[in-house]
Amino acid sequence: MTLDSLFRRRLLVVAGKGGVGKTTVACALALEGARRGHRVLLCEVDGLARTAHLLHGREGAVGEVVEARGGVFLMALEGKAALAEYLQLIIPVSRLLRAVFSSRIYQYFVAAAPGLKELMTLGKIWYEIDRCDEATGRRLWDLVILDAPATGHSLQYLRMPAAARDAFTAGLVHREAERLVQKLTDPMRTAINLVTTAEEMPVNETVGMYHQLHDELHMPTGLLFVNRMHRREFSDEAMQRVRAAAARGRDARERTVLEEVVARAREHAGWAAVNARYRTRLAEQVNVPIVEIPFLFTEEFGFAEVKVVAEHMCHAPLAARRGQRA
Amino acid sequence: MKSIADVMAAHQVIICAGSGGVGKTTSAAALALYAAQQGRRTIVLTIDPARRLADALGLRELGNEAREVKIKSRGSLSAMMLDQKGAWDKLVERHAPSEEIRQRILANHFYQHLSQSFAGSQEYMAVEQLAELHSSGRYDAIVVDTPPTRHALDFLEAPRRIADFLDRQIIRWFVKPYFSAGWATLRTMNRTVGALFRRLEDATGVSALVEVSDFFTSMASLFEGFEARVARVNRLLKSKETAFVLVASPDEQVLTEAEYFCRKVTELAVPLRGVVFNRVHRESALELRTVDEDWLRNLVSRAAGAEHGPALAETFLNYETLAQGDNLRVEAFRKQLPRRTALATVPNFEEDLHDLDGLRRMIPYLVGG
Repeated sequence: MTLDSLFRRRLLVVAGKGGVGKTTVACALALEGARRGHRVLLCEVDGLARTAHLLHGREGAVGEVVEARGGVFLMALEGKAALAEYLQLIIPVSRLLRAVFSSRIYQYFVAAAPGLKELMTLGKIWYEIDRCDEATGRRLWDLVILDAPATGHSLQYLRMPAAARDAFTAGLVHREAERLVQKLTDPMRTAINLVTTAEEMPVNETVGMYHQLHDELHMPTGLLFVNRMHRREFSDEAMQRVRAAAARGRDARERTVLEEVVARAREHAGWAAVNARYRTRLAEQVNVPIVEIPFLFTEEFGFAEVKVVAEHMCHAPLAARRGQRA
Repeated sequence: MKSIADVMAAHQVIICAGSGGVGKTTSAAALALYAAQQGRRTIVLTIDPARRLADALGLRELGNEAREVKIKSRGSLSAMMLDQKGAWDKLVERHAPSEEIRQRILANHFYQHLSQSFAGSQEYMAVEQLAELHSSGRYDAIVVDTPPTRHALDFLEAPRRIADFLDRQIIRWFVKPYFSAGWATLRTMNRTVGALFRRLEDATGVSALVEVSDFFTSMASLFEGFEARVARVNRLLKSKETAFVLVASPDEQVLTEAEYFCRKVTELAVPLRGVVFNRVHRESALELRTVDEDWLRNLVSRAAGAEHGPALAETFLNYETLAQGDNLRVEAFRKQLPRRTALATVPNFEEDLHDLDGLRRMIPYLVGG
């Protein structure tokens, strides 16, 4: 799997633990896709309009297509709205029925089949993927990118079609769920991409998630983005020399400055070592090509930074897999 | 201003809330360890399916049962994890009124396939477990780590959502007649409902509906007295014994969400007592801001040598930039907080903290002023 082959899929799911930069990677992938001339729809689920914030798009209503910077289109999805939309399609109810439906039975139905909202969100995404322009008959989107909720939750999303297929043994929901399972497990159409930082807990979750995706859900993985890599470009000896210079500094100010330089260097070297260690563990335990993204030293994170991440993605060498799982 | 140590001392229940990835689990574990060091009988409860607390406490397996963590301190520290699937099974085992109903629930298709994803079940189980630990009288301090939701508030709303889910009115009105009187009776009884049922039947298959109503009928008996428990839990969450501590990082998006949390918490009359900022890039002495960059590069290159000097100077300047951004955001956030809220800033150490030594290293920053 390379970045090029990734962009030939129809659906890219971007998943990972909270706070590792999932949304940033999803936005960067969308920017890069659009730069290559694809029509890209970036979807956010039950979201906080983070994609809109990073890509300077207007915060659209649920289900509304909004154009953002870099030629990317955004859409906010919400489980409840997707379910209502779907039920209206399959149950063309009379007004009287609709009144009932909007109250108790509906609520009951939603509660009775937990996970249905998640199922419908995925259904809605595939609806967008297959959607064609009415006039030209051409597909509306070349590529749909899903910025999935934090790990536990996004696996819950991806698990839903199979669970629904097995829970509803017959009928329309069963057939719809089966169709979704087919699409999500088809490596020609779907790639689940993982995002993590090279630290203990995010790596633990990523390894767990990889096994569930691979062994249980049989879903095709794309790339593993290792975000916020600290890289060290100075030697221990150089640090020692600065420490020694601090001790014999000319005045108090020089000494303080050099001491602070050593302190910062230690902080950075520490994280670089942690990152390198867990980067190795990832390569050994997760059988997905790794794309490293360096830590960006900025006061704030916005559109310019997302662009930098997108550029790094393109130029980062794809690391060969070091370990092969039995 | 109070410190988190004061907050810990004055409350029996500490609930750590916050969005995912901010070090909530680690902070909760460190606060629990601190309480144990203070001589209290402490338990930390986590509901995180990723078993992060197990890592943080150096335990390989955390089960549904409380396990004692071996530490040298005057008090004691236990840890407990709620595995969702296991937790529901346990709840069924515990509350099923008869062996028959227990078997019926455990064998139900819906239960088997979907018990892992009942809306808010994770949060509810945490809250129920908390109430149980609280009334057991076995612990002087209970620290709760909340699930990694995007919305920190989900935790507070879970009991109400589960109550809606198991609304007995709905079950009585909709499920029971179907289950007891059968499909045909109900269809003739009410044409409107009958027509809707036919549609649902087409969509889901009849057997599914039978399973659903069977499931709900069985679950309804399981949750006799549920409302009373929810009411009790809500009282505990808002009582004087309980303190909420918001865990955040200096990340812009995290802080936006944290602001929303603080506003909501005031509306819900929930006692937010403290805020912890994790992984804040420490500010160096103020005067350093006035350092001339060229002078600095020269100085460092003279000391380290021309080969590595530039990289060392660059690293220093990079971290100064980060520190300035972090501290501006933390300062702006702090200004919006009610004056008596305790505040703690934990620096971005040069390592990943996830064992007992790491937690010990965190404690002075967490509980200090």
